[in-house]
Amino acid sequence: MSARDGDDTFLDRLQRRSDGRNVNPALGTLLGEGAQQRVTDLDRANPAHGFQAQVPSHFVADTAEAPSYHGLAAIKQPVWIATVPAYLFVGGVAGAASLLGLAIDVLGEKSMEPLARRCRLLGTAGDMLSAGLLIADLGRPTRFLNMLRVFRPTSPMSVGSWVLALSGALNSVGLVLGRSRGVLGVTGKVAGYSAAMLGMPLAGYTAVLLNNTAIPLWQSTRRTLPLFFMASASASAGSLLSLAPHTEREAEVLRPYRLAGKAAEVVMAHAVELDARRAPEVARPLSEGLSGTLWKTSRACSLAGLVVDALPGRQRWKQVAADMLTTVGAVAARFAVFHGGQASARNPQATFRPQRQGHGAAEVTGHAVASDGKPWSFPLPVVR
Amino acid sequence: MSRKGFFTDSTVCIGCKACEVACKQWNQLPDDGFQFTGMSYDQTGDLGCSTWRHVAFVERPVPMPGHSTGVGDFSWLMVSDVCKHCQRAGCLEACPTGAIVRTEFDTVYVQPDVCNGCGYCVVGCPFGVIDRRPDDGRAWKCTLCYDRIGEGMTPACAKACPTESIVYGDLDVLHERADNRLRELHSQGIISAYLYGKDAKNQPGTGGLNAFFLLVDRPEAYNLPPDPVVPTMKAGQAWGAVAVGALGMAAMAVGAVLLGRRGDS
Repeated sequence: MSARDGDDTFLDRLQRRSDGRNVNPALGTLLGEGAQQRVTDLDRANPAHGFQAQVPSHFVADTAEAPSYHGLAAIKQPVWIATVPAYLFVGGVAGAASLLGLAIDVLGEKSMEPLARRCRLLGTAGDMLSAGLLIADLGRPTRFLNMLRVFRPTSPMSVGSWVLALSGALNSVGLVLGRSRGVLGVTGKVAGYSAAMLGMPLAGYTAVLLNNTAIPLWQSTRRTLPLFFMASASASAGSLLSLAPHTEREAEVLRPYRLAGKAAEVVMAHAVELDARRAPEVARPLSEGLSGTLWKTSRACSLAGLVVDALPGRQRWKQVAADMLTTVGAVAARFAVFHGGQASARNPQATFRPQRQGHGAAEVTGHAVASDGKPWSFPLPVVR
Repeated sequence: MSRKGFFTDSTVCIGCKACEVACKQWNQLPDDGFQFTGMSYDQTGDLGCSTWRHVAFVERPVPMPGHSTGVGDFSWLMVSDVCKHCQRAGCLEACPTGAIVRTEFDTVYVQPDVCNGCGYCVVGCPFGVIDRRPDDGRAWKCTLCYDRIGEGMTPACAKACPTESIVYGDLDVLHERADNRLRELHSQGIISAYLYGKDAKNQPGTGGLNAFFLLVDRPEAYNLPPDPVVPTMKAGQAWGAVAVGALGMAAMAVGAVLLGRRGDS
């Protein structure tokens, strides 16, 4: 790195300022495919050899039996920014809150009406915020509507964009027209109910979005991560609604809802860990580095939030503390899973070794040899 | 239109990087800096948004028939890596905007005027090929010289390759050529040679690659996954978990409301 910085002369900088691609535009017209790339500055260095590659690696050493290419990552890291894990939390809360609003509307009593309205408000605000967070992450934010150009069932990103767009639109209509009379009122109610039904896939698809990738940690937790995200979404929605002022009467609905979500979240977090541990290299980010710290923090906060909430006594301070802990735990979990995916992408052995143990395509196609004709190494894949 | 692809034979690659240079020149890709990596003769590192051909250099303490190096047990492998243009392409199946399409030549192409830079193809690729350029904000990868093959020309890298290590052509012709070459190598005693990703039989996870390789060491040594899978193949299980979770979420919401009821008011 330092050698590169050393050759960055004043002339180099001058040239870069005048022309991002190091060519003299007078020499010819730029019409090639790559000429469409907007280049503001030359790549300072290949990210593959950046700081991450300089620090001593925690990863297992290469062996003759399990080589890697100079320790370089086999797959690309996610290019997403922090708004994406933030969205994983916000979108889940929005979906779960909308759903609770529907349940109260349909099955609850008249006195619960204000709580249902607050649920719908939280859902609508969450949908709006989610859209903003996602657009902020796009490389070309002005083209965000291209998400709705096509519907592609194979892409959770496409499915989710439609779910989020519809959920947000219907929730808004429901909120605006919900209290009207006559046809408008019915329209508003139907819109609100539809949005609430979309709340379930909205809370769950965010996990599929991560599972449906080549990132080892995300792909290997595909059976449990959706359940964890959905449980966590219910727990956080219940906690946030409980943190807001509410009556004694409303607490009788919120308390069981919140506790069920928190219990499910703690159980499913453990299931996610077990799922990842099927291949040791894959589970590594859940115990090491930044993602490991975040994950342990999240586990501790979620468990504390459940325990404190379940303790006898109904003091306000106790319940506020419990709900804050749960919320912090849920947010930390999203960031832990996100950063864990990045760490797992950086480790080539996390990609190679599970595939050698039959956790690659063999899990779905059932073939018995790798692409180089060698049979799977032991341990044999677990038949499920 | 016939199906087009590359057959890259690593055993005749001499590591001259003519393919890298030709690709950069024809596509007018930006310079990605000058750096010394210390990784054999590979100063490029990996494929990326502005590197669409990359020559990998593998030095290993293993003898190879026909190689006499003068330093004992040693052999030096090179192979030119490229986007594989998979039959089941992870990037294509992940693209939510329809920017990534399959062309009339059966190749995978990213339309830069449609891509909005969501970055989902980057994590969808099991080979780590496609990447998003930070200052441009869109995803880029090898186009298999879509602009050249449409005019009946050979892609720049194959055109520039001095040893015919990179061969471009119709897939069925390439398959035949690859099989012949493999037989020849096996008869010469290089029994470790094999074809990587030739068809769905060899690589069920991708349905076969339009740009396939002849290699003589484990795929991992060249930074290729041994058993890649298009993520979509496994997504059904995740959607199933969402269905179960939806039941659970609904049960929690309904149960809480019913628990909180107090007769009728």
